[in-house]
Amino acid sequence: MHRVLERQLKRCLDKNVSVSSEWTALLELISDTYTHFDEDRTLLNRSLDLSSKEFLDNNRRLEATRVKVEDQAKSLALEVTKRTKDLNDRIAELEDVRKAMTNLLEDFEQEQKALAEAKAKDEAILVSIADGCIAVNESGEIILMNQMAQKMLGFTSQESIGRKWYEILHREDESGHPIPPDQGSILAAISTTSTSPIPTKIGIYYYVRKDNTRFPVAITIAPVMLEDKIIGAIEVFRDITKERNVDKAKTEFVSLASHQLRTPLSTISWYTEMLLTGDAGSLNEKQKKYIDEVYRSNRRMVELINALLNVSRLELGTFTIDPEPTDITNLMQSVIDEYKFRIDEKNIQFLPSFEKDIPSIQADQKLLRMIVQNLLSNAINYTPEKGTVHCTVQVIKRDSLVDNHRVNEDCIAIIISDTGYGIPQNQQDKIFNKLFRADNVREKNNEGTGLGLYIVKSILDHSGGTIWFRSEENKGTTFYVTVPLVGMKKKEGTKVLN
Amino acid sequence: MPIANKGKTILLVEDEVTLLSALRDKFSREGFTIFEAKNGQEGLNSAFANHPDLILLDIIMPVMDGMTVLKKLRAGDQWGKTVPVIILTNLNEGKKVSESLAYGTDEYLVKSDWKIEDIVKKVKEKLKIEM
Repeated sequence: MHRVLERQLKRCLDKNVSVSSEWTALLELISDTYTHFDEDRTLLNRSLDLSSKEFLDNNRRLEATRVKVEDQAKSLALEVTKRTKDLNDRIAELEDVRKAMTNLLEDFEQEQKALAEAKAKDEAILVSIADGCIAVNESGEIILMNQMAQKMLGFTSQESIGRKWYEILHREDESGHPIPPDQGSILAAISTTSTSPIPTKIGIYYYVRKDNTRFPVAITIAPVMLEDKIIGAIEVFRDITKERNVDKAKTEFVSLASHQLRTPLSTISWYTEMLLTGDAGSLNEKQKKYIDEVYRSNRRMVELINALLNVSRLELGTFTIDPEPTDITNLMQSVIDEYKFRIDEKNIQFLPSFEKDIPSIQADQKLLRMIVQNLLSNAINYTPEKGTVHCTVQVIKRDSLVDNHRVNEDCIAIIISDTGYGIPQNQQDKIFNKLFRADNVREKNNEGTGLGLYIVKSILDHSGGTIWFRSEENKGTTFYVTVPLVGMKKKEGTKVLN
Repeated sequence: MPIANKGKTILLVEDEVTLLSALRDKFSREGFTIFEAKNGQEGLNSAFANHPDLILLDIIMPVMDGMTVLKKLRAGDQWGKTVPVIILTNLNEGKKVSESLAYGTDEYLVKSDWKIEDIVKKVKEKLKIEM
C-alpha cells in the first residue's frame, strides 16, 4: 500500500476495523493511483528540472551573444562615424576636383578655340606660301596642296587630295624620261630615319603639268614627325625656269669666252713650239731663251683659263661628279709619275707611304686626280731644293683622330706634307679663298694661279670629302684630305672639270 | 723626211687661218699630203671627194659646224662610216665630248692643251705609222 494512503487510513480509521473485500480492492486501486501519480510527478519534476537547466544554458548563451552583439554594434557605430567623416572629406575633395575640372574645362575650351584659330591661321599660311607645297600622309596620299602648287601643276586641290602623290607629281629628267617614284623623293622622306630635309639637286627634275607642259623645279622634302614617328612628308617646290635661263646664259658665256680666249693662245703655243723645235730653222741661245719665255707664259695663261673655267663650273654648279670604282693607290702613283721629273729636278726627297690593301672606292677619277695634282704640285713648287715631301694614303676608321680632327665616317685619308716655305700664320684663314696667294710664295714663285686650293676645296665640299692643313712658315705644310669610304657623292651636271 | 708618212693623206677642217697654217706646215713637214677646208661644208665636200686617211675636225666653224660634219659623214657611205676622225677644238665641254664620241669620233683633243708635236703623234698612232 502507498505510504501516504496508509498514513491517511491510519488517521481516519480504527485499527481493528475490518474492511470488506470490495473496499480492499478499492483501496488497492487508489494505492496504485497514488503510486502512478508519484511516478508521473517524479517524471514531470525531472523533465522540469532538465528544461530549466537547458533554459539557463540558453539564457547564458544568449547573454553572451547579446554582449558580443553589443560590442559589435559599438564598434560598428564607431566605424560608421569614421566612414561618415571620410565620406564627408571625400565629398569635399571631389567638390574641389569638380571645381578644378570646371576651370580646366573652361581653359580647355578657350585653348581649343585658340588652337582652332591658330590651325586656321597655319592652314592659311600654308595655303598661301608662294612656293608649291604638298603634304602627304604616311601612305603617300596627298593631304594638302596649296594654291601655288595647284597653280603650278594645273591640278586642283579637290582632284588631288586623297590620291597618291606620284599620280599628281610627274617628274622627268632633262631629256624627258620619267623618273620612277622611288628615286630621291617623298617616298624616301616617308621611309627615312633622319629628320632633316632632303634637298634635291637643282635643275635635274622637271614637273609635268596637267596639260603636259613642264617646268624645272627645285625641291625640298622633309619628313613630318610626330612624337618620334613619321606621319607623312612635306614637299616644297619652286619653279626655277628663270634661274635656269640665267645660269644657262652665264654658262654659255663662260664657255664661249674660254673658247675664244683659247684660240689665240693655241696659235701662240703651236708657233712658239715649232720655233723651239727648230721647225723654222735653228735659233741661237738668246732667241731660244726668249721664245721659251713666251711659250711658258702662254702655258700659264692656258692653265689660268682652264682654272677659271673650272671655278665658274664649280660656282654655277654645272659640273659633274661621276664616281666609279677607283684604286686610290694606283691613281696616286700615276700622279706622282707625272711629277717625277720636277721632283728629281729639285732634288726633293720624295717619300710615299701607301697602306697595304687600300680598298677601291667610288670616286670621280678626274676630280680626285685634280685634287692630288694640286696638292702635290704645291708641295713640290713650294719646297726648296733638297727638301722632303711625304705622301701617305691610309684608311681611317670612323671616330678616330687624324691630326686631332675627329673623322665622322670611315674614309680614306690622303696626307701630303712638305718641308717647304709654309703658309704665314696670319694668312692661313685665307688659303682656300679664290685667287689668294700667300705673300711669302708670291715673292718666290710667280706661276701659281691662286685657284688650285679653292678648286680642291670646292670639289671636296661638293663630293662629301674634307680638307684641312697645318702649316708653319719655313718649316712646312701638311694637307689632310679625306674621301668617304662609301665614295664620293654623285652629282649630275652638264660640264666636266678639266 | 719620214718616208713612212709618204702617201698618207689628212684633211684639216679648221676656220682659224693661223691655226690651219700651223697644222699644214707641221703635217707637211712630217710628210703627209694635206687637204684643207675652212668650214664644215667645205670639209664634208673635200672628205667625200678625196677620201683622206684621217680627218682633223674643228667644232665651232661657220656655214656648218664640226658636229654636223661628223653626223653627215657617219650617215654617209661605207668610207664615211669608218674614216678615223679626230676632233681638234678649243671647246672643252663634257657634253660635246660625249656627243662626238657617240657619233664615232676617235679622239677629242683640246687645242690649247695639246702640243702640236703630240697631235702629230696621235695621228700617227691612229694611222699605225711607226714612229
